[in-house]
Amino acid sequence: MSLTEAEPAGAVSGVPRRGNTRWRATGRSRLAARRRRAGILLSLPAVVMVVALLGVPVGQAVYYSMTTWNGISSTWIGPSTYSTALTDPIFWRVLENNGLLLLAIPFAIGIPLGIAALLNEHVRGWRFFRSVYFLPTAVSWVVIGMVATQFFALNGLMNKMLSAVGLASLRTDMLAGQRSALIALAITFVWSMLGTNTIIFLTGMATLDPTLLEAARVDGLNRRQIFFRVTLPLLKRFVQFSFVITVISAFSALFSLIFVMTSGGPGFGTTTLEFFIYQSAFSNGAFGTGALYGIILFVIMIVVGLVQLRLIRSEDGEGW
Amino acid sequence: MAAAAALVAGLTAACGSSSGGGGASSGPVTLTIWHNYGTEQNATALANMAKAFHKLHPNITVNVVSQPATNYFAQLQAAAISKTGPDLAVMWTGLFTLQYKDFLVNLKGKVPAADLARVDPNALKWTSDGFNAANGPYVIPLENQFYIGFYNKAAFQRAGVTAVPTDWSQLFADCRKLRAAGFTPITYGNGGQPLGAEFYPWYDLSYMMIGSYSVSQWLGLYSGRIPWTSATNAAQLAQWSQMKRAGCTNSDVLTNTNNLGQFETGKAAMMIDGTWDTQKFTQALGSKVAAFVPPFSAAPINGVVDFAGDGLSEMTYAKHPAEATEFLKFMTTSQAASIINAAGLIPAIEGTTTSNPVNQEMLNFVSQNHMAVYPMLDNVVQPNVVSTGSKFLPSVLNGSISAKQALQNLQTTLTQLPASNRGSSY
Repeated sequence: MSLTEAEPAGAVSGVPRRGNTRWRATGRSRLAARRRRAGILLSLPAVVMVVALLGVPVGQAVYYSMTTWNGISSTWIGPSTYSTALTDPIFWRVLENNGLLLLAIPFAIGIPLGIAALLNEHVRGWRFFRSVYFLPTAVSWVVIGMVATQFFALNGLMNKMLSAVGLASLRTDMLAGQRSALIALAITFVWSMLGTNTIIFLTGMATLDPTLLEAARVDGLNRRQIFFRVTLPLLKRFVQFSFVITVISAFSALFSLIFVMTSGGPGFGTTTLEFFIYQSAFSNGAFGTGALYGIILFVIMIVVGLVQLRLIRSEDGEGW
Repeated sequence: MAAAAALVAGLTAACGSSSGGGGASSGPVTLTIWHNYGTEQNATALANMAKAFHKLHPNITVNVVSQPATNYFAQLQAAAISKTGPDLAVMWTGLFTLQYKDFLVNLKGKVPAADLARVDPNALKWTSDGFNAANGPYVIPLENQFYIGFYNKAAFQRAGVTAVPTDWSQLFADCRKLRAAGFTPITYGNGGQPLGAEFYPWYDLSYMMIGSYSVSQWLGLYSGRIPWTSATNAAQLAQWSQMKRAGCTNSDVLTNTNNLGQFETGKAAMMIDGTWDTQKFTQALGSKVAAFVPPFSAAPINGVVDFAGDGLSEMTYAKHPAEATEFLKFMTTSQAASIINAAGLIPAIEGTTTSNPVNQEMLNFVSQNHMAVYPMLDNVVQPNVVSTGSKFLPSVLNGSISAKQALQNLQTTLTQLPASNRGSSY
């Protein structure tokens, strides 16, 4: 019989002793140990799944990133593949594109916020406009890309509209220039995020306590002041959420837009890192190089995630 | 006794049929073929061959699957890794074949030598290791293809252009006349071969390089002995980049998706394309359409791209290898050649020819005008270089980047390749 099993006898006597306290402490620790073991056992399948489905592939990707792997056979090169990639000017050009696309994020959040504020005022036909603004969310990114291609074409709607208002001199083939194509892509991205973000903000505004807004009005604040001093601070969590999904989309959901609109061109003008991974691996058949850029994107996303967490952490220590 | 004899005879006939089928199963089999032809004439030819093959082998159903052209090779490679692809697949020849040969069956010894002997030897060699047919082909070519210029004779006549241009200066002069007559002289766009969002620049570059080098010298572009940045290449590309500015092209060369339509409706006078669209043009324009050698050179060009650019390969992981080989053997027959010809293509089978007059004009460039036969440039330079060229060269024609910049990118891509990928032989 073990010591812990003998102890309860003393406890039954009801005499408070140091031993009794020790029993309670030991009992608790035994319970905690059991719980810990059960916890480990219960979480084991999930851990095994994560390791098998994430850990192993990530490990394999790290290995293959240091090889010339064509998908079937591989030759070990070593970590020098990373220095080669990092000194490739095309890689930095691609990263620059990612960075420039991030500049679209304030617009992808700000414009829907403004639209949501207007719709929340229940202007005439607001229900109709709510459906119209939500439309991009219901449309596939591929369709959005195809429509955008036609819109920005030299003989497309945008240029026709410019001609119609006497600004024919501004007609331009936006998708034909490296920088202008990136701008067209950014505009399309902002439009495609419009519905999702508008609905997020509208939902947020619907949850606000109307008495607070009423109180602000009674205190003499005008609409603009109410929006910036009351509504916006109360929408903080929704803005944080919108920020997170927009950043993630900017990094990882633009593939289909780029594929349809520009194929990453002209040159590398609209090639983002995720598209570069696809091109390296699948267009050039260099799966090792694709894995290498995949690892770099993985690291970048970790850094971006940490920065996001830092930025959106609430003053009370709670982040979204 | 008679019944026994009949049974033996029947069994013998069945065995004969079976051996003729190269060990193909007599039970029902579905053979899968992938292609990236879209709606081009090659797709028609392949579908009709599948039907004819099924008639000959009623137990073999051929499932022809059209895959998107833009990422066709990516899909094929991914399918090869997971061994979930087709039995047979369309494969481009030259270095494309060698790039993917890990999952392609070498047909030496599989397809009988007598069958292979019926295929144009010049076509077979570009599908074999070291570009030597003796090493065994990985692809049975579907057709002989030309990268070529097409022009509208009626448009030329209306513009007062009496002969096709044969060099840069004549081209620019003719562009002015055609433009004045209300035509787009040459239309560019991604409709010719939908491989990406922009037009495919390797038809043009092939002719620029034909204008600069002999066939054997092209190896220098592969090995790096002739740098992409050489003065000759830069001069050729600089001339080419003038075309848009000189009014030779449509203004939306990078984003136009209707170049085929513009040529077929007579709005554009010329187009640089390939034999896979010949029938489309002859159907739309009748006798008004003719072939010409793109005049991308300071002096008249004396070469033409005549190359079996594609065909079918058997996958190493094919579920029905015997039936797949049987189909490849069928491709070498005169019956298959007739089907290919009927689709408006030029069969790569010895002793056969084309009935399309415009295709015949192309063959005449070689047989009557004695022009040198060149491969497709993009099939004999490294795929990575092709990929980079496809990204940058269209922007040169558009005037967005300089010829020098584009060539520098090609050269950088080449020098980043391992030395083994840019040796003194293919």
